[in-house]
Amino acid sequence: MIDFEEEIERFKPSLDVEQVEDAIVKSDLTDMTDIMMELIKERGEK
Amino acid sequence: MDYARRNQQIANSFYNLGLEKSRIRDLSGAAQCLKKSLHFNKYQTDARNLLGLIYYENGEVADALVQWVISLNLQPEDNLADHYLDEIQRKPGQLERESQNVKTFNQALWHAQNGSDDLAILQLARVVESNPHFVKAHLLLALLYMGREDYNKAGRSLYKILQIDKSNQKALYYMSIVKQNTGRADAEKRKMVKAFSHRKMEDDDVIIPNTYKESTGLSTILHIIIGLILGIAAFYFLILPARTKALNNERNQEVIAYSQKLNNANQQYDILKTDYDRLDAQAKEVQARLDELTTGNTSIMAQYQGLIWILQNYRTGDLVAAAKAFADASFDLIEDENIKAIVESIRQDMTANIYQNLVDRGLTLWNAGNKTEAMDYFQASLTIKPDNPEALFYVGRLYQDAGDMDNANTMFDKVVNEFPDSPYVERARNARGY
Repeated sequence: MIDFEEEIERFKPSLDVEQVEDAIVKSDLTDMTDIMMELIKERGEK
Repeated sequence: MDYARRNQQIANSFYNLGLEKSRIRDLSGAAQCLKKSLHFNKYQTDARNLLGLIYYENGEVADALVQWVISLNLQPEDNLADHYLDEIQRKPGQLERESQNVKTFNQALWHAQNGSDDLAILQLARVVESNPHFVKAHLLLALLYMGREDYNKAGRSLYKILQIDKSNQKALYYMSIVKQNTGRADAEKRKMVKAFSHRKMEDDDVIIPNTYKESTGLSTILHIIIGLILGIAAFYFLILPARTKALNNERNQEVIAYSQKLNNANQQYDILKTDYDRLDAQAKEVQARLDELTTGNTSIMAQYQGLIWILQNYRTGDLVAAAKAFADASFDLIEDENIKAIVESIRQDMTANIYQNLVDRGLTLWNAGNKTEAMDYFQASLTIKPDNPEALFYVGRLYQDAGDMDNANTMFDKVVNEFPDSPYVERARNARGY
C-alpha cells in the first residue's frame, strides 16, 4: 500500500505563467558539447 | 569538432526516440528522451519544441512556454516555436484560464498537504473540469480519492491520465493499487491466463462446446417445454405489446378521423343553426308585420275594411252606421296618399255636415215617435262631434224620457257647465229642474 502522506508530499507545485520569465533566466542550458569544450579548454591551459 | 558532431548525432537519436514515443502517447518516456537529447545538444530545436508540446499536452503551460521561448532565442528564424507562441498569444483568454488553473492546482496542493482534503478535492475537480489534460491535477485528485478509499473515482481520473500519457509511471502505479482494491486486478489476471493458455490446434482436433450434452428423451421434452414457454413469453412480452401498440395507433387514427368528421359536422351545424336563427328571426319579423297588416282591429287590413264600410254606408245613405264606423275606425296605418285624401274628405264631411244631419234626422225620428232610433242618431252625432251641446241636450232628454235620470242629468250638466253660451243651456237647466 502507498503511504498517503508521503505520496502527497512528493507533489510539487506547477510553474505559474507569471514565473516563466524567471524560469527562463534561471534555466541551465549547458549541454554536453559545452562541458567537453570546457574540459578541452582546461586541458589546453594546463 | 568530432565530439560536437558526435553529440549532435546522439541528440538526434534521442530526439527520434522521443518522437516515436510521443507518437504512441508515451509522453513521459518521450519527455525523458527529449531532455537527454537537449543535454547532448541544446540547439536541437525540434527536441525542445516537442518537449514544450508535451508539457502543454500535460497541462503544464508555463513549462511549455519556457521551452518555446528558449527555443526561439536559440533559433530565431524558421522555428516552429514561433507558431506555438503565436497560437497561445492569439487566445489571451485561454492563457489566462490556464494560468488560473495552475494557481488553483497549487492552492489545492497546499490544502491537500495541510490536511484540507475536502477543499482540495473541490478545487481539483474544478481544475480538471476546466482543463481535462492537466495530468498533475488528475494525479493528485486520484490520490485524494484513494485516500478516501473511493477507488472508482480514482480509477476514472487515472484512466483519463493514461489516455493522455499511457506510460505515466505514477498513474500506472496508482492504477495498480486501484485495481487491487476494486477486484479488477484478479479479473484481468484471469483474462490473461485464459488468453495465454491456448495451444495450437491440430488438424484432427474437434471443438466440443462446454455446454454440449447428449440429448435424452426427457431432456428433449424439457427443451420443447422451455422453448414453448420462451415462445409464449416472447409473444406476450415482444409481439403482443407491439401488436397492441399498432392496434392502438390504428384505433387512435380512426378516432382522430372521426373526431375531425365530428368537428366538421359540428361546424356545419353551427353555421346552419346560425342561418336558421337568422331566418327564424326574419320569419317572425315578417309574420309580425303580416299580422300587423292582416289581423286584429288595429291592422292595416282592418283600417281599409273600416274605410270600405264607411263608404258603403255613405253609398246606402246609412249615416248612423257610417258615423259609428268612422268614430270607431282608425286610419293611422294607411300610408297611401290617395286613400289618406279620401279619409280626410270623409272626416271633413263628418265634422262639417254629417253630425248635424244626424241630429236633424234624429229629431225627425223622435217627432215620429221612434225614440230608440232617434237615440242612435244622436249618439252617432256625438261620436263624430262630442262637443255638440244640441246633441247632448237631446240625448239627455231621451234619457229623461226613458226614466234614466242619472245619464240624463249628466248630459244636462255637461251642456250647462261646458257650453254656457249655448242656446241649449236654459233648456237644459229647466229640464234638469234648477
